[in-house]
Amino acid sequence: MIASSATPLLEIRALRAAYGKIEALKGVDLAINPGEIVALIGANGAGKSTLMMTVFGRPRARSGQILFDGNDITDVPTHEIARMRIAQSPEGRRIFPRMSVAENLQMGADATDCSEAERAAGMERVLTLFPRLKERMMQRGGTLSGGEQQMLAIGRALMSRPRLLMLDEPSLGLAPLIARQIFDAIRTLNRQDGLTVLIVEQNANHALRLAHRGYVMVNGLITLEGTGAELLQRPEIRAAYLEGGRHA
Amino acid sequence: MAGVSASARGSSAASPAPGAAFIFKKALISALVALVLFSLMIGVRTEAGSDGQLTYMTRFGDLAAMVATVFGGSIVVELLRQWWGPVGTIRIVPPSVQSGLALARRGIAPVLLVFTFLVPVIFYNERYILDLGILVLTYVMLGWGLNVVVGLAGLLDLGYVAFYAVGAYSYALLATNFGFSFWICLPLAGILAAFCGVLLGFPVLRLRGDYLAIVTLAFGEIIRLVIINWQSLTGGPNGVTGIPRPSFFGIPLTPGDDGLAARLGIEFSTTHRIVFLFYLILALALLTNWVTIRLRRLPIGRAWEALREDEVACRALGINTTTTKLTAFATGAMFGGLAGAFFATRQGFISPESFTFHESALVLAIVVLGGMGSQLGVALAALVMIGGFELFRGLEQFRMLVFGLAMVLLMIWRPRGLIGHRAPTVFLHHSQAISSDLVKEGHG
Repeated sequence: MIASSATPLLEIRALRAAYGKIEALKGVDLAINPGEIVALIGANGAGKSTLMMTVFGRPRARSGQILFDGNDITDVPTHEIARMRIAQSPEGRRIFPRMSVAENLQMGADATDCSEAERAAGMERVLTLFPRLKERMMQRGGTLSGGEQQMLAIGRALMSRPRLLMLDEPSLGLAPLIARQIFDAIRTLNRQDGLTVLIVEQNANHALRLAHRGYVMVNGLITLEGTGAELLQRPEIRAAYLEGGRHA
Repeated sequence: MAGVSASARGSSAASPAPGAAFIFKKALISALVALVLFSLMIGVRTEAGSDGQLTYMTRFGDLAAMVATVFGGSIVVELLRQWWGPVGTIRIVPPSVQSGLALARRGIAPVLLVFTFLVPVIFYNERYILDLGILVLTYVMLGWGLNVVVGLAGLLDLGYVAFYAVGAYSYALLATNFGFSFWICLPLAGILAAFCGVLLGFPVLRLRGDYLAIVTLAFGEIIRLVIINWQSLTGGPNGVTGIPRPSFFGIPLTPGDDGLAARLGIEFSTTHRIVFLFYLILALALLTNWVTIRLRRLPIGRAWEALREDEVACRALGINTTTTKLTAFATGAMFGGLAGAFFATRQGFISPESFTFHESALVLAIVVLGGMGSQLGVALAALVMIGGFELFRGLEQFRMLVFGLAMVLLMIWRPRGLIGHRAPTVFLHHSQAISSDLVKEGHG
């Protein structure tokens, strides 16, 4: 299933990033092949979100390289990175609360050079994936429930017809049933549209079941990597993120 | 007064029937507040004596009367409140009237517009009302212009008057020095003001909220101080005089043989010029409104609003926040500049006095009171603020008091402005078919 011989869609080499004096990434290597779902798991403050944001140039990498489809994007301005069809659903969803659902979705496609037809097709795709949004089109984004807001954030990211979709904690604060719907939607996108996905999660169980491969991050370093199933079996993962997490 | 209203708040959802002790306590607190407030305002009166020295006299009697009134008033208010019972949930307005109100709300904009068009016809002989109308429309235009920056893009600009000044001086100087006509200078004034907008925009790109407000405030002052001190160009505090009046597309509005009146074969009247100015500012204001409404439906307008909501998300979606902010500043500034050029041609004389912080604050108040982002709200707020100011002219020193009170009450009852809701720009025509209709509408 995974074309390991092809060049990775996203490749991160020895990436270091810091907020002021606090080093958040201490030399991270990571690769995502086309058509893969990759999960990045780790505890709070491990640097997962920072890694995702550093791909977008916020914060800028101190050293190391980020390659997208073979091109070095380490120093490309944030808004241009987004236009290379890397989309993200950022931490905390960050939808536009006073704008309607329809406008929120349109925002996703505004900066790209999508044609009208592509825009329409993208909208249709999002609404088939998340029929709930269809009912809420004229509502203000801020009035949606948490799950719907997450759907909107993912839908907005999909509007740019991305080649790589990065999701930061899509299940955070959601009821298990809704989280499941979100994960199902991601799986559908991957299977039907061949979308490549990087998913950052604390919910290791869900994320590793969904992902083809996974990385475990601790204190700004990748400590483990393997297929989703492999990682799920590892006793240290079970202890740290599954059983431990359940009782904590 | 102040004491009564202070006591009126806060007790609404308390126990259903507070006892006498409660009422007494409230009244006592109100009286105390009144005592503190009025002890200097009423208790002591200062005057300049015969030799210019400061003399004062105490008016403890008046003070005591005032405090007693507040005390009594507070008790009366509290008793009335109990007598009426809780009023929050009672539906006073029947549904039929409510739907009528909704209809009226939808109809208010067209009715207002038609009325505005007819103002010069109805009040042809009332110079005062026409002048007031022009003044209100100028502020409507300024409000709509600032609305782009503050209401849509969410960038708090306290120095908007700078662009107004740049527009006014652009026209005044170009017209008096080079003899350019109003119609050539108008776009130039707009462009120069937009340029200043970009100039202000660059240093404040990374600033938000309070910090942005401070820098824009300073920018407004800088422009004013430059105008005052660059005597050789601007005439300094003396201002620019003899600014040409606008012509009716090349035909002067003068009593001479080549004037408009003579050509049309009607008797000359100075009112013609006033009426012309009225329609001119109306056209400029409507242009501002039309452009804003159009832009809101385009990606750039949507990006402005998204920027107000969440800058980080904008960047992640590929929006170039730098150009988005700069275009917002430039667009808002351009409208300010156009209004400034109009102001100069109307007055025939401008000086730095007209471009103080007071103007910025007034325009900002119009935008905030109107409901940020609402076009109709801004227009209504301008009417209320400028018109209301004139209405209370007879009250002399109480004018500001009434004005302040009205503002406080408005902010209590309608904290999001007169028209606080925001109309979406993307519409669904029918809920079944979504794709193409929606997208076309959204993309304008």
